[in-house]
Amino acid sequence: MTGGTRKIGVFICHCGGNISDVVDVNAVREFAAQQDEVVASTDFRFMCSNQGQARLQETIKEKGLDGVVVACCTPKMYEDMFRGSAKEAGMNPYLLEIANVREQCAYAHRHEPEQATEKAKALVAAQVAKVRNLRPLDVKTAPIHDGVAVIGAGIAGIHAALLLGNAGHKVTLIEKSPTIGGNMARFDKTFPTLDCAMCTLSPKMNDVFNHPNVDLMTYAEVKDAVRAPGRFTLTVVQKPRYVTDACIGCNRCTEACPVSGPKSPIKVESEWNLGLSPRKAIYLPFSQALPQQWTLDADHCYYFQRNHTCGICAKVCPADAIDFTQRPEEVQVEVGAVVVATGYRPFDASQIPQYGFGKYADVYHGLQVERLLSSTGPTNGKLLKKDGTPPQSVGIIHCVGSRDEKYRSYCSRVCCMASLKYAHLIRERTGARVYNFYMDMRANGKGYEEFYQRVASEQVGFVRGKPTRVTDQATAPEEEGKLTIVVEDTLAGVVLRVPVDMVVLSTAMDPEDVDGLLASLKLDKSPDGFVKEYHLKINPTETAVKGIFVAGCAQSPKDITDTIAQAGAAAMSASMFLGSGSMTLNPLVAEVNPDLCRACTRCSEVCEFDAVRVDPEALVAIVDETSCEGCGKCTVVCPTGAITVRQFTKTQIAASIDALAPKAVAP
Amino acid sequence: MTEEPQVLTLCCNWCGYNAADQAGAAKIPYSPGVRIVRLMCTGMADPYYVLRAFERGFDGVLVIGCHPGQCHYKSGNLQAREQTDRLLGVVQALGIGAERLRMDAASSSEGPRFAEIVNEFTETLRKLGPSPLKEVA
Repeated sequence: MTGGTRKIGVFICHCGGNISDVVDVNAVREFAAQQDEVVASTDFRFMCSNQGQARLQETIKEKGLDGVVVACCTPKMYEDMFRGSAKEAGMNPYLLEIANVREQCAYAHRHEPEQATEKAKALVAAQVAKVRNLRPLDVKTAPIHDGVAVIGAGIAGIHAALLLGNAGHKVTLIEKSPTIGGNMARFDKTFPTLDCAMCTLSPKMNDVFNHPNVDLMTYAEVKDAVRAPGRFTLTVVQKPRYVTDACIGCNRCTEACPVSGPKSPIKVESEWNLGLSPRKAIYLPFSQALPQQWTLDADHCYYFQRNHTCGICAKVCPADAIDFTQRPEEVQVEVGAVVVATGYRPFDASQIPQYGFGKYADVYHGLQVERLLSSTGPTNGKLLKKDGTPPQSVGIIHCVGSRDEKYRSYCSRVCCMASLKYAHLIRERTGARVYNFYMDMRANGKGYEEFYQRVASEQVGFVRGKPTRVTDQATAPEEEGKLTIVVEDTLAGVVLRVPVDMVVLSTAMDPEDVDGLLASLKLDKSPDGFVKEYHLKINPTETAVKGIFVAGCAQSPKDITDTIAQAGAAAMSASMFLGSGSMTLNPLVAEVNPDLCRACTRCSEVCEFDAVRVDPEALVAIVDETSCEGCGKCTVVCPTGAITVRQFTKTQIAASIDALAPKAVAP
Repeated sequence: MTEEPQVLTLCCNWCGYNAADQAGAAKIPYSPGVRIVRLMCTGMADPYYVLRAFERGFDGVLVIGCHPGQCHYKSGNLQAREQTDRLLGVVQALGIGAERLRMDAASSSEGPRFAEIVNEFTETLRKLGPSPLKEVA
């Protein structure tokens, strides 16, 4: 301790052993105490605990600290919290820095305790040196715009929108397909209760559709997003339906439409039924679709593709609801928060050619089987083969794409239970023999193990093994005309050939393709391709972008139970954020020293955010603090050092570098 | 005193720094000679920091940002790439050796990638031996 002008306190956390088992915290404490301008150095079992923070606050008050270094876990965990505590104790929060001695020392170098301790000392010294050069910053706030956008109207988005609407927020629910409901609306029954999916979903769809606080945009996609403090401006493209809201839902247009008819050269498959049935150019995806407003698919319509030669739908429409002149429309939606609920799509099973998807007619993926079992599906709920006859035997292959290093390394979490559900429903409806080919049975939810036991008692066959292939090449009379599943039964240690009439592939969940959306919202993806949450354990519904939340399968594969729970949590987080009314503006942005500025405009040339401009009269650069993101590109191109980013000035960073350096010299 | 090459690692707040956290949390070992300074973006990695680090005895300098196209600020990492590339010639001309300066990318979830980058760089530096500037008073 020597006589400087600052009074800095250093607090070293044990993290209950996570740090102190590796790093010699006593040595670090003593080292810190020797640093210039350090007037207090202490260690504590858990700095993040109430007692830890109380000690921080007491010391700030007692010693009149104007600088703090907490040596603990990554600043991504508790920097905000410690700064809040410091502020409460009367210190400017931006005079507090974290030395990351857990992730960067105790964890990374746990087999080299001496080196970890030396490095911890260096990290503390670097942050003390930085704090010595910090100055207090004022915090400004910006009001948070009213309203929230929920992107995706599957069960996650619907549930979140309902809760947010009920809490009094103005909600814009944006869905890219013509109807709300998402994948859940395609299901017949849901595990483990075997509730009718639509019986549970339909009331929610109606509630959200009629909710006075929910503005629903279907057949609409977010094209771009611009972020300003407290506000997101979404550019939403409303695709043309060519059917106005005068539509009374009589279905005459669909009946009259020639597309996909027996003699029609234009044919199109129903997306809703995943290619299992044809559809007309003008259609309603399924009978309970909401809104009950028909949609015309111009890419497969004679009117648009054959020089306006058709138009029969307009002729038969009793409500005059067909409007061929519609064009895509861009709508600006201004909100304060966004919930991303963009859901999943099934893994493309044709990527695994040995299972014969797309090659053999009676190999289906799980979502197709949902449609075959659904009363609104292409077979009105009868499980039939392509030739129209019911199968005598069905093989269900688990983990298709999932838990496979070649395709998706993650477990998709729902396929075991969905497969058991298919087994149950197929036995119940057709009496067919059913075989499950599984790697491990994962039945880890409320009522799931019980459901597994129930299905296991229903004369369903279980073979533990991952099939190597599905083939139509018969090697025995009982395989003639069948699809034979070749598999090693790993419990019995024998290779089996199991002939069946129908194969169901329980495919992995892939995230919906929303790369463009994520890029415009500046959201990261995890390595698995799903939206990266703020923190997997303690903050799974927030994202790194303040005001953007994530719900449902957009974040990771999950079942409906978990999706509802997470959507509720996301809605609560968004509601709290909106309800706070204002948000703190980041003070760590650029500022200009007018004495040094030569008005050369290089700063404004490299700025991506139009946050800095040169005033032509004063001949000085001016920063718009609400637009500046604090990236610091300008600071590198400035020839005079006039523009700096607060708390990242060259003096401050160089002080850290010097303290970390092998040739550390006394400042 | 340690024999490990001393590496100043300038990490951006959004990718490089988080990747280092992930590497730590996953207990993937890397050399304790790796010292990280957190910047908001590699776009603010001034050549001054690199030269100062060598002058202060670091054996190598690593700049780790987001992958191209993934920058939290759109193009900070691209500017950093330009600056680093330009600096390579300077570092070479000064006799420090261009191999001692490197820029790479690791996304926020790529802990193993972070460890791979720093381990590979440390190995290169180990083969090169101490920085020639280390001995200059």
